[in-house]
Parts: sequence; C-alpha cells; structure tokens
Amino acid sequence: MNGKHGAARRMSGRGRVIAPAALFAAVVVLWDLAHTQGWVSDLILPRPWDVVVAAYELFSTGLVWEHLLATFYETLAGFGVAAVLGIGAAIAAGSSRLVRQMVYPYAVTLQVLPMLSIAPILISAFGFGYTSKIVIAGMIAFFPVFVNALTGLLAPDPDAEELFRSLRAGKKRTFLSLLLPTAAPMIFAGLRIGLTLALAGAVVAEIVSSQKGLGFLVQRYSSQLNQDDAFAVVLVLTAMGLLLYGAIGFADRTIVFWRHAARMTSKTRSRERSVRRRLGETPSRPAGSAPSNHSASEEKVS
Amino acid sequence: MGARSSRNGSAGIAVRLRGVGKRFDGGVEAIRNLDLSVGPEEFVSIVGPSGCGKSTLLRVIAGLTPCADGSVDVHGEAVTAPRADVGMMFQRPALLAWKTSLENVLLPVRMRRRVKDDDVREAMRLLALFNLEGFEHHFPEQLSGGMRQRVALARLMMTGAGVRLLDEPFGAVDELTRELLNLELLKIHERTASATLFVTHSISEAVLLSDRVVVMTPRPGTVAADVTISLPRPRSLDMAYSPEFQESALRVRDGLQLVQAEGG
Repeated sequence: MNGKHGAARRMSGRGRVIAPAALFAAVVVLWDLAHTQGWVSDLILPRPWDVVVAAYELFSTGLVWEHLLATFYETLAGFGVAAVLGIGAAIAAGSSRLVRQMVYPYAVTLQVLPMLSIAPILISAFGFGYTSKIVIAGMIAFFPVFVNALTGLLAPDPDAEELFRSLRAGKKRTFLSLLLPTAAPMIFAGLRIGLTLALAGAVVAEIVSSQKGLGFLVQRYSSQLNQDDAFAVVLVLTAMGLLLYGAIGFADRTIVFWRHAARMTSKTRSRERSVRRRLGETPSRPAGSAPSNHSASEEKVS
Repeated sequence: MGARSSRNGSAGIAVRLRGVGKRFDGGVEAIRNLDLSVGPEEFVSIVGPSGCGKSTLLRVIAGLTPCADGSVDVHGEAVTAPRADVGMMFQRPALLAWKTSLENVLLPVRMRRRVKDDDVREAMRLLALFNLEGFEHHFPEQLSGGMRQRVALARLMMTGAGVRLLDEPFGAVDELTRELLNLELLKIHERTASATLFVTHSISEAVLLSDRVVVMTPRPGTVAADVTISLPRPRSLDMAYSPEFQESALRVRDGLQLVQAEGG
C-alpha cells in the first residue's frame, strides 16, 4: 500500500529465494574449491561439509546445549533490562523537559564510547558469572532503545495532539492513546537494533572472560586450532541471531500491525466480528449489507 | 431559525466574539479587534487571504489558545479551555492509524466515558450516513483521502457539540471529492443544524454551504465584510448556476478584492 512494503512484496517469490540461494551456492563452491586447489590451509578455513558435520555433532553429543542456553539467557536478560530501562528512561525524558536536558548530553556522549572497552572493568566489578555478561549486553542494547524511543515520543502528530486537546483528553489518556502508539514503530526499530547488539555484547563478554557460552566455545576451539568446531559454533550463533530477529520482527508486525498492510486485512475481519458479536442481540441493520470486500476502490474518488 | 431574532439575549447566540485580539509570542499580531456572532443554527464561512488569522480565530474559539484582548463566549460562557460543546475538525483528518473507522468515530465518547452499545450503533449510523457502509472496520491506511475526511466528519458529529469548527477541512482533497463532501456537509447541517464556523479558501464552497460569509482582512485579521447568503435550504449543487448564487459569490469576491487591494 505504501512504497516500502509494496516494493518488498513486488519482489517476486522466485527472485527472493533463487537470487540469494544462487549466491550461497557460488560461495560454497568457491570455498570448497579453495580447499581442493590448496589455496588455503585447513588450519585457517575448514571445508564446508566438515563444518556441517561438526555442527551436527555439537548437537548429537549434547555438548552445545549448556553453552547455547547460557548465551541465550544472557542475551535475553540483557535485552530485557535494556528494553525496560531504555523505554522507561525515554518516557521520563519525553515527559519532562528538565530530565531531557539533564540526560540527553550524556546519552549522546555514551553512544560514541566503544562500550566493549569497559567490558573488562565490568567483569572485574560484576564477576565472571552471568551478571557481568547481562550488564554488558544490557548496556550496549540500552542506547539504541532509549534514543529511538525518545525520538518517537518527541515526534507526535500535531493535528492529533490538537484533536486530543479539543476532546479534553487528560495527560495520561493522551500518553496511552496517542503518544505511545505513535512512538511504537520507532520503539520497535530501537528494540530490533538493541536485540542484535545484546547478542553481540553477550558473546564478546564471553570471549573476554568466561567458562560458558557460545562465545567462550568459539574462543576455546579457535585457540585449539579446531576450526571445524569453531565455525560450527558460529553457525549456531547465526541461527540464534536469526531466531531472535525473527521473534522481534513477529512482535513488531503483531503490535504495530497498522504499518503492515497484510496484517490489516485480518484485523479488519476480526474487529468486524467482535463488533457484530457485541451488537449481536439487536441487529440494527441487515448483516449482508456490510460486504467484506477489502478493496477501497468502491466510489474511491482520487 | 426563529431563535436568531432575539439578537441581544445570549440564548440566541452560540458564539460571540467581542473586540478579540491575538498576538503570537514573536510579536506578530494575528487578529485585531474582531467582532463576530454566530447563531445556534447558523452556518458561517470565513474567507480571507492566506495568513489572515482564520485558523487562529478557530483555535481561540476552541479554547486551544488564549486570546489577548476582548472576550470569547460560547453559549454565554467565557472560553478559557477546550469545551465539550465545541467540536473541531482540521485540514488533515487526524485519524488514529491503529484504529478502525468505527473506533475513530467513537474516540470523542471514549475520552469522556465508557462506550456503550448505543454509542456503537450511533457511530455505525453516522458512518452509513457518510456513505462509509462496509468500511466501518477498515483502518485509515485502507481508505481513500475523501473517505478519511468523511470519517473525520462523522467523528465531529459524534461529539454532539452544539458548536462545530472546521478549519479548511477539504483543503487537501481534489475538486470532485470536495463537491461530494460539501453535499455531505449540507445534508448533515440541514438535518442537525448547529452553530458552524467553516474556514475555506473557496468562494463557491463558502456560498453554497453558508448562511453568512465573513471576509477577513490580511493580518492583523478583522472582519472586512459580512455577506448574508439568502439561498433557500435544502441546497443543491445546481444552485451554483442560479443568479442569486452568482450575485452572492460576487459580493464575497468584491469584499476579498477590496482587502487584497488594501493589503498591497
């Protein structure tokens, strides 16, 4: 309906699958060729098939689970803390000019700070266990969540705001019914970035110092020159990243449904059903008079 | 209509402005010494050069911005804040993207109290009245520009306000859609008349809809001409070709040319 989603949909199903698959095949073939031709050593780059086997064995031996769950837990906990604090701080800063003026310069400054440089400090402060990883993941994820949410909260629709004022909506009402939904797309944009960064933060923290986690595992295998397994762990990490990204994307499409044309059609139908049910006992007009066609073309003058 | 004969009692007047002046923070004087009265069933259009303070005038009456000088009364009470008996519509429909047409229309009720089944029925009735049957549960994104304005009109009606303020509501839609929307507005006003202030740039639109057309001067805005339109109601688009209509339009145009000549 609008340009962005329209363009994504117009990219035909065939092109969406075949084009990246072709690139993938080419890379794998070239990669394997590099081995058979002796361009690279096994110590640097393992063969593709060996990586797949190693990945399978990581799971079949059950070795990976402990580490996978550790990284998953650190990422989610860090992200959760960052989401709650980031959105909370944005709401506080969005509703008070004073708070905004106090906090904003630091928020900007801390964004330029390479957060990972303080990882060793945090680890010595919070120990070698989960806490330090969660703190690092949370700190990295906090800023994109905070900055995006604040931007969204400070960019309302002036007409809608006037409307709410003319309807004498209170502060709380205006916030819940107008400002928060208006900011929701931006909040989710921040959460998407934050989740990816939380995973990165957790893994890096594990590499710096840890006895557990996928980052630790990569570090250990790699230092043992066991590149098959190191690559296999990276594969697992990629899968985890995709899963997390897919989950947040799903939440985005479900909650901010009005930004996704495909979602609105089903929403329309469910809203219609619930209103019908509500007015069920006394049909004020024949049910057949509301056709469920969703093309707004009828008497559309434009 | 008979109510308007008792001009002096506040009962016969829905909106009364006396000596209203408004200056912006930057020192720009938007309105100066403006007098205007609108009867409880009267449709008054406001035309004038761009930036003459028409929108500011509506916002003052709506209680969205305070006036510096003079007094603004609605139903005999001084306006200090937005009132329940004043409804406003903007140039942009200002619909909530995450709410269906029906939910958008119900918004004024929801701001005040719990929505009852009868409110839902009333909102459905209003949507049907504006030819939006079958689109009650669509989201704004799924509607055309004209349809969105009709939802906004239905929402204005749902406020049940005795005073309706419309700030160039059809300024952003194409000519054909505008004509259709004008007809809807006529239908509504003739069915449930209320004191209406309608800001527009279109002379023919103003003449077609109004009982009176007020011409404003350039900034600082004040009333330059007050043209009574005596076309009978109910009105139709065909009336635009009648001599009476042409004559009224000419008088409004004369008023506008006069103020534009003065403004340089």
